[in-house]
Amino acid sequence: MTDVAVPSPAVAAMATRRSVAYRLLREPTAFVSTLFLVLVVVAAVLAPWIAPYDPYFTDQAKALRPPFEDPSYLLGTDAQGRDMLSRLLYGTRLTLLMGLVALVTGGGLGALVGILAAYYRCVDGLLMRTMDVLLSFPAILFGLAIAAITGPGLTPIVIALAIATVPLLARIARSTALVVMQQDYIDAARSVGLGDAAIIRRYLMPNCLSSIFVFMTLRFGQIILIGAALSFLGLGAQPPTAELGTMAANGRDFLFFAPHIATVPSLSIFAIVLAFNVLGDALRDVLDPRLRQ
Amino acid sequence: MGRHIVQRLLLSVPVLFGVLLIGFLLLQVVPTDPAVVLAGPLATADIVEAIRQDLGLNEPLWYQFALYIGRVLQGDLGKSIISNLGVAEELGRTLGPTLELLVACLVWAIPLGIAMGTLAAVARGRIADRIIMAFSVAGVSIPVFFLGLVLIWYVGYKLQLLPFTGRGGPLWSWEGIQHLVLPALTLGGVFVGPIARMTRTTVLEVLSADFVRTARAKGLSEPRVVVRHALRNALIPIVTLIGLQIGFLLGGAVVTETMFSWPGVGRLAVGAILSRDFPVAQGAIIVLALAFLLINLAVDVLYAFLDPRVQRR
Repeated sequence: MTDVAVPSPAVAAMATRRSVAYRLLREPTAFVSTLFLVLVVVAAVLAPWIAPYDPYFTDQAKALRPPFEDPSYLLGTDAQGRDMLSRLLYGTRLTLLMGLVALVTGGGLGALVGILAAYYRCVDGLLMRTMDVLLSFPAILFGLAIAAITGPGLTPIVIALAIATVPLLARIARSTALVVMQQDYIDAARSVGLGDAAIIRRYLMPNCLSSIFVFMTLRFGQIILIGAALSFLGLGAQPPTAELGTMAANGRDFLFFAPHIATVPSLSIFAIVLAFNVLGDALRDVLDPRLRQ
Repeated sequence: MGRHIVQRLLLSVPVLFGVLLIGFLLLQVVPTDPAVVLAGPLATADIVEAIRQDLGLNEPLWYQFALYIGRVLQGDLGKSIISNLGVAEELGRTLGPTLELLVACLVWAIPLGIAMGTLAAVARGRIADRIIMAFSVAGVSIPVFFLGLVLIWYVGYKLQLLPFTGRGGPLWSWEGIQHLVLPALTLGGVFVGPIARMTRTTVLEVLSADFVRTARAKGLSEPRVVVRHALRNALIPIVTLIGLQIGFLLGGAVVTETMFSWPGVGRLAVGAILSRDFPVAQGAIIVLALAFLLINLAVDVLYAFLDPRVQRR
């Protein structure tokens, strides 16, 4: 045993990650969801280059065209004659970005809180009770409260979604970090005289990353869903901004004679969240052997 | 159990304090002077100053906060800038309809969700399980406004079957029930999925327990084993999990009320925020937060009551 090279935690984590990805993609539903999400992300990133029209260019003469009728306006036009496909691409881009910023800032902050709570046990109680208080409120209430203070807009929604994510990630990160803290390599690092900051940065954080990442994936669909709901209420991005929830809200007024204006953005939110949830379920099945048949 | 409940109550004190603090700060950070807003555009400087005195706006912030808590505890939440009615009065009118909507949603969503989840667990891996779980994951992923739009467009507009704006009247009238159906279907529709998923997981866990094997070994029929032994024991965690979903439900209710012009707290809150009616927005947010706290507390107590392990502590 002694001459076997002990893989560093990071390498071991990478190896598990590879086999997880392999097992995950063997599931047909997970494979389809992944493929779909990759396509969506690519389309969103490339929106400025692949969108056929300017999403804000209005042309009353071409207003309210139904989808699949005119090949130059594949998804039809809205009440101002703007191209729905272009708006959908830009809208998806903004909606995903909104969710991502909220997830990364809120999740990152939460993970930090959780890891610190696990490492410095003296602040554990205080930090986690604060998280309990935050957790006592649903995200939609943060959204309402912050929008009430600042007025409607994209920034308050992102802040609300981020705040609602902090306590969730703090809990996950703390419980993961507590397990990691019991590993021998943490004791070893301490015995060679590494300082707290170095242990946290080099050993604790990298080994908590995979669970944090998995949980963030599971959370992303929910964030998009809540963000879209807040936008739909008129509290998020303001018209004419192309954002999926805002677009769906605008389409409400034309529901009876041009249902596509509301349904196209709503359907795409549905599809994106569905793909994230299916992927999240598959990921959980792969990672939690207890649930596997 | 007494200790558990006391602990839980103590934990809600800082939360309650936080709710009130946020409510208070809401009026502080607002860019306009509340006295000017309350006085209206035609008021003289004297009137504004009188209102400032009256509201204690010249006092230090902590003193204002104390005054504010005192007022809230007396049920005085200020007056609406727009309608000039008391906020407490406006809120009072919206509580009933919101409660109506929540109950109408839960009475069908919870039994259906539990039935679907149990069925899926029993048929684990078979086609019924797959179909039910596909429905559930779709239910978890569908935006509540999308479901609402589809129901409004198809059932309300195309088929002209049911009304889709406002509340028709008291619950015991035919009109009242008709108006309630679509909002309740919308809100419940996004709640069935989570319940079915949670039920399936919980029932699956219980089905592998020793006492279920014993029940089977005794020769009990399978439906009896599932309903009397497995489901009954699974209900405790299911109740808790449903309680944890209340925030999600509350969010859905805000959207549903706004879509169907249902005169509830959520619609009032959104309307007040959009029209910058700060006192009403603040009051509605406090009420929503309190409702959420109370429901959580109730679920916790119910849990302690149902689970003998917590009871003994």
